[in-house]
Amino acid sequence: LEGKPGISFELIAQAAYDEGRAHLATQLLNHEPRAGKQVPLLLEMEEDEIALDKAIESGDADLVNYVLLHLKTKLPLASFFRTINTRPVASALVETTARGQDTELLKDLFYQDDRPIDGSNVLLSEALEATELPRKTEKLQLASRLLSDSKDPTVVLQQKLLSEASQLLKIQEVLDKDLADRSEFLGLSLNDTVYRLIRSGYGKRAQKMQSEFRMPEKTFWWLRLRALVAKRDWG
Amino acid sequence: MAPYPGSDADYFRDKARRDLLNLLEGVRGKKNLAVSQDLAGPVGLFVKFSLLQEYGVDRVFLLENGNVDSSQRNVVFLAHAEKIRQVRAVAEQIQRLQRNGNVEHELSIFWVPRRTLVSNSILEEAGIIGDVNIAELPLYFVPLEQDVLSLELEDAFSDLYLQKDPGSIFHSAKALMDIQQRHGYFPRIIGKGDHARRLADLLLRMRKELDAEESSGLAGLSARGLLPSASTESLIIIDRQVDFGSALLTQLTYEGLIDETVGIKNNQADVDTSIVGPTAVPQAQESSKAPQQSSKQGQKRKVQLDSSDQLFSQLRDANFAIVGDILNKVARRLETDYESRHSAKSTTELREFVNKLPAYQLEHQSLRVHTNLAEEIMRTTRSDIFRKILEVQQNNAAGSDATYYHEAVEELIARDVPLKTILRLLCLESCMSGGLRPRDLESFKRQIVQAYGHQHLLTFWALEKMELLQPRSSATTMLLPTTGGAQPGSKTNYAYLRKNLRLVVEEVSEKDPSDVAYVYSGFAPLSIRLVQCVLQKPYILSLIRGGPTTTSTPIPATVSSPGWLGFEDVVKSARGATFSIVQKGDDKAIRARQTISGNNTIKTVYVFFLGGITFTEIAALRFIAAQEAPRRKIVICTTGMINGDRMMEGAIEKGSFAKFE
Repeated sequence: LEGKPGISFELIAQAAYDEGRAHLATQLLNHEPRAGKQVPLLLEMEEDEIALDKAIESGDADLVNYVLLHLKTKLPLASFFRTINTRPVASALVETTARGQDTELLKDLFYQDDRPIDGSNVLLSEALEATELPRKTEKLQLASRLLSDSKDPTVVLQQKLLSEASQLLKIQEVLDKDLADRSEFLGLSLNDTVYRLIRSGYGKRAQKMQSEFRMPEKTFWWLRLRALVAKRDWG
Repeated sequence: MAPYPGSDADYFRDKARRDLLNLLEGVRGKKNLAVSQDLAGPVGLFVKFSLLQEYGVDRVFLLENGNVDSSQRNVVFLAHAEKIRQVRAVAEQIQRLQRNGNVEHELSIFWVPRRTLVSNSILEEAGIIGDVNIAELPLYFVPLEQDVLSLELEDAFSDLYLQKDPGSIFHSAKALMDIQQRHGYFPRIIGKGDHARRLADLLLRMRKELDAEESSGLAGLSARGLLPSASTESLIIIDRQVDFGSALLTQLTYEGLIDETVGIKNNQADVDTSIVGPTAVPQAQESSKAPQQSSKQGQKRKVQLDSSDQLFSQLRDANFAIVGDILNKVARRLETDYESRHSAKSTTELREFVNKLPAYQLEHQSLRVHTNLAEEIMRTTRSDIFRKILEVQQNNAAGSDATYYHEAVEELIARDVPLKTILRLLCLESCMSGGLRPRDLESFKRQIVQAYGHQHLLTFWALEKMELLQPRSSATTMLLPTTGGAQPGSKTNYAYLRKNLRLVVEEVSEKDPSDVAYVYSGFAPLSIRLVQCVLQKPYILSLIRGGPTTTSTPIPATVSSPGWLGFEDVVKSARGATFSIVQKGDDKAIRARQTISGNNTIKTVYVFFLGGITFTEIAALRFIAAQEAPRRKIVICTTGMINGDRMMEGAIEKGSFAKFE
């Protein structure tokens, strides 16, 4: 049968499968050049991994997604992950689909794949979405805890910056209470916080924040300059 | 052959319009139309609202606003079926209409560009698949200009490089198949980059699938297989990730700078009315109150930017430095044109003048718009901060030690320059010199997070995933060595290519450019140089050898050395696969056709940019096209328009820690 493109392997394979000769059908399907016809049939024959491979080969993201959707409902999560994590295209698509929809799935995936930074980033995203301050800090702490037992320098930095974020939020909450009565500082970046403090004439507090977060001297001077100009304080 | 033997642009525009209108006709009676945001602009490129009205469209809604109302019984949705989010949005809207409406709605969905299995199963889950009429609108290439075809996929860049979603490659392959079915197979597919390779593989695969379809007798329609085309020379595919560097630079052509400062989308720019004046009202109605009303601050006016405006087609590809001169010249000419009315004595002369008057007025208006726009851009380019940014960029591009400029970048951060700009500078350094020193990167990370918010930890992570900003120690920042074995995933070696492809051209004149380097005032985009390695071999050779650059002398068509021939070693130092595939067909048929048509026609070269192209690169390609005009026609294809800011936008985290309002 080799070298005769004219034959519709799809139809023959379907027939073979209907006759109960599944193995033969799969072999026949290997000759079918049109992935669009091949994949659904493979799924029907429960040749899941072959179906997935063929879908990836075709480059058609829709087919891949379709197979993935099918597999996700069918397989237990652990073996689903095992199927996809050897195939980068598949796991990338699963990640994309899950983002913003199914964060629990993402967390599981990253945990099983041992990708702590990815995992902590999911939590960081959740912290950004949370509406209440306590929830935000809690998520941030969870995120930094995920990273706590690693020695990799990037991870260490990431963890340090995460805890810095929750520290900053805490201080901003106090500032809001002391100086503003309403949320004026919460959520600002460090630079913006310092800028606003100077502009409103709280130079002391600004300086304290500078030293607390080890802000570079130059940055601080630029912020002061800009804030004082905005305030028209030429003294 | 097809009714438009030459121009693909017209063909695709007509086809898209016809397809859409046919579908609309299929929905009887009046209807409301809900369009997804990223389709509204492209649709506007080939069909006007007035025409839609003729076809019974009453009101148009944006899908994302979620406010489709029940004023008409028929509701038509137009959305991308490959975007799962859009599919869900459509499903939600339909359910909402079915719940609230006191009218029994007649619902239709036109999926662009095709109906997908995933969209089916989402609609099925929502339980509405039985209640809607589903049709496909095969919309791929949208012509932006006669020589520019774009898929207008806004997210193609982040999809490809951040999400690693191959959807847009598939989409591109389908679109290129369209061209092949019209003209015949590309006799040769040349490309650079891993994604480009995948695209080429898909093209080969789809050809095979098509063959199978035909020979199995299932297709029926197209009776015989396609042949290698007689009217196209080749397809050149460039993967954006081969050359991230050029796209990160600030573009210095007029159109490029408009895109950098105002932003161009679907050939239109939203410009503040305080700059360009209120929307041009027909002369007769320009009463006293109109200008007062619309000159309010903050209002935007859409300015059409395409070659229908003669003045703009002169200006767009020029380096911004000489835009003032051109404007001045045009203004002077226009003045003498107006003056010529005094010399008109006889009635015939006068009538001639009056006949020309509308054209003058049109030109006058366009001159006013562009003068104001140019002035506004000038205000930006003269600023202290812009100069600092440009200085850092130029030094990076020229290859001097980037660490000298870290202090300047730190100052820019402290001065609260937009985050995109800062990240562009850092990514530029990372791309050009193979990553930042880990210590420097850490210190930048800390400063940026402190200056712009801790949510940007996510931004950095995204940039690292896109391999735009990395520490030097990581495996994927390795530059391609000129000797020894290369690791997979190694990066473009700008240091080597800068010398061997003459990326830096100091003496380029902006007024009368002799090299594509004029678009960045001295830096030639690597992507374009690669295209030149295929199309203009003798020129590149003369550049490298440093001999007299005799650009203008016509060089006989280099039929003898196609593909990358002669430049294999140089090209190897750019990232990703290098390939040149010949598509063969039935020999006898080709020879037969050759004897019929002769062999001296001007053939078309398609240059496809996968992952986006910048306006500067288009300008540079047009510059080449003008030189090659006697031998070739160059058609530019791309997944969409890109610039550095848009690249960054894909990565920048938008959430913040501020309280939810």
